[in-house]
Amino acid sequence: MSLQTSRRRFLGGLAAVAAGGVFAPSLLTACGNDDVGGRRLRVATWPIYIDVEPEGEATLDLFERATGIRVDWNEDINDNLEYFAKIQPTLSAGKAIRSDIIMPTFWMVPRLADLGWLEPLPLDAIPNAKNLLPGLQRPTWDPEGRWSLPWQTGTTGIAYNRKATGGKEIRSIDDLFHPDLAGKVGFLTEMRDTLGLLMLADGKNPQTASVADAERAIERLRKAKADGQIRKFTGNDYQDELAKGSFAACVAWSGDVAQLALENPDLAYVVPEEGGMKWADAMVIPKGTTDLDAVAKFMDFVYDPTNAARITAAVQYISPVQGVREALRAAGGDGAALADSTALFPDAATEKRLYTFRSLSEDEESRLSEAFSKLTGS
Amino acid sequence: MSTRVGGRRLTPYLLVGPGVAWLGVFFLVPLWNLFVMSLSTKRSRYDFDPAFRWDWSNYGDVFGTYGTQLGRSFLFAGVATLACLVIGYPMAYWVAVHGGRFRAALIGLVIVPFFTSFLLRTISWTVLLADDGVIVRASRASGVLALLRAFGWINGDRLLDTPVAVVGGLTYNFLPFMVLPLYVSLEKIDIRLLDACGDLYASGWSAFRRVVLPLSLPGVFAGSLLTFIPATGDFVNAYFLGGTSSRMIGNVVQDRFLVQLDQPGAAAISFLLMLVITAAVLVYARVLGTEEMTS
Repeated sequence: MSLQTSRRRFLGGLAAVAAGGVFAPSLLTACGNDDVGGRRLRVATWPIYIDVEPEGEATLDLFERATGIRVDWNEDINDNLEYFAKIQPTLSAGKAIRSDIIMPTFWMVPRLADLGWLEPLPLDAIPNAKNLLPGLQRPTWDPEGRWSLPWQTGTTGIAYNRKATGGKEIRSIDDLFHPDLAGKVGFLTEMRDTLGLLMLADGKNPQTASVADAERAIERLRKAKADGQIRKFTGNDYQDELAKGSFAACVAWSGDVAQLALENPDLAYVVPEEGGMKWADAMVIPKGTTDLDAVAKFMDFVYDPTNAARITAAVQYISPVQGVREALRAAGGDGAALADSTALFPDAATEKRLYTFRSLSEDEESRLSEAFSKLTGS
Repeated sequence: MSTRVGGRRLTPYLLVGPGVAWLGVFFLVPLWNLFVMSLSTKRSRYDFDPAFRWDWSNYGDVFGTYGTQLGRSFLFAGVATLACLVIGYPMAYWVAVHGGRFRAALIGLVIVPFFTSFLLRTISWTVLLADDGVIVRASRASGVLALLRAFGWINGDRLLDTPVAVVGGLTYNFLPFMVLPLYVSLEKIDIRLLDACGDLYASGWSAFRRVVLPLSLPGVFAGSLLTFIPATGDFVNAYFLGGTSSRMIGNVVQDRFLVQLDQPGAAAISFLLMLVITAAVLVYARVLGTEEMTS
């Protein structure tokens, strides 16, 4: 187990600065090392999202040996909206960005597809795409399965620090509004995660809920904020607040907390009784890619269960690839223990309580996002 | 001499050439772009298609909608600047007058924190101000927390994620910008002037008030501008040290630009902010007396 730091954990501090210098990374990649000959595949992704060890035997090395294609693995994405703001001017002008595969979070997929900024997947050339877990085939965000293949997936629920809750175990979303936790509760600035959970608490299904349902959720948060119940809205830096005990409980991402709990047994993660959210970061192909064949070869390669298992062992998110569990067991060692982890392989009962935020039209997005920003950014 | 003037006439212009070119390319052109953007309209939220059409509506209700954050930015930056002055003046004075041969080393110490990233320095404060940390415990025991609560500057029993932490972070981060210009102006003062004051029976206080302070005003002016202006637009401190109601105008611009993809709106706010700051600086310069600045 080489890389224990998850990508989301790595982001926290960086988000704000990166936001300050949006265009810097694109400039840097623009003068990247293109001078080396041979075929190249350019991937834009999140930090720490693939295995890098052992040197020469990691997934990207194996891919290069098998296909002769070298991968430029650029950890360009720190935040979905920020990344969108970065690629918007180029793609909007009908020009190609300098990436062949990008990995935004699922809800960005229909937006990019509707704008006409994506190439459809060359599925005929990706036989391993059949290994996609049934639950992720034709998802709401890509109903025909035309545009995207998930890279990694995960859940959103509640994390808590037993020391700060006074030993109390958190079970439901409503617990976050209990007066005992006043001033010690955190919510994510990631709109879909926060509002999704609150709509579940309200008995609404985020997969079908209306904008009015979401607005009711915002109203509940506004009240809680005015009452001093909420300490802060955070990005990925919620993990520090949680570990320090500034947050007794907060909305959180599964993989992060599993790793934090290894160092701090007071921390726990739960998919609330009312339900939790399920998310995926998906591989999509931006328009203007010149080497679709290389793209297909890469996607096919990482959808091979053995390769997917190697990635899972390093990044420890829920793999979208069928057969990873068996491959982990077969590989033995540290990986075999992961095969029994409920965080990596949620049981059927948990799976049933997981929902995905539905796609929003441009108007809906605009309305909700403005209202949510007003709440979190005042 | 007059015969050589012709040959030298161009020299000053050639010398300022690089500076003017630099300002033109990296200040005037972006400023113009910002202005054009602030008067543009986007048809779609997601498409990047701003079209210039004298769209003053971007400026429309900035003060109404973001008045709170704007006012807060000036308040926070103003308090932080004052705090920097109160902390920084004695520091600079002491180093300039009593530093002796250690002056350079002492003033170097002021800059040492700059070797660490701005972001890391700010995030470190989240550890220092943690709820069960030494600072909070000491403030609680000494009644400082109760005092701050009485003023209404904090609500709960904590410092982190409150306006007090944001102002503290601004003060800490921008202190060197205050100390260095103050030091430069204080260091220039001929120390024998103080002896002369003494010879003329001036008390220590009146010597300071009538001689040292006026002579150091250029430093005060430069220092407070260097502190106040960046502090007003700062968003990192409010992001990491603030709570649910302490966002500043910088956070608003960031949100408009990156989250709401409202680049024209963000440009309009930035432009207005610049105008307001310029006006404030002009008033300030008038109050302190511009001649002092050029002396």
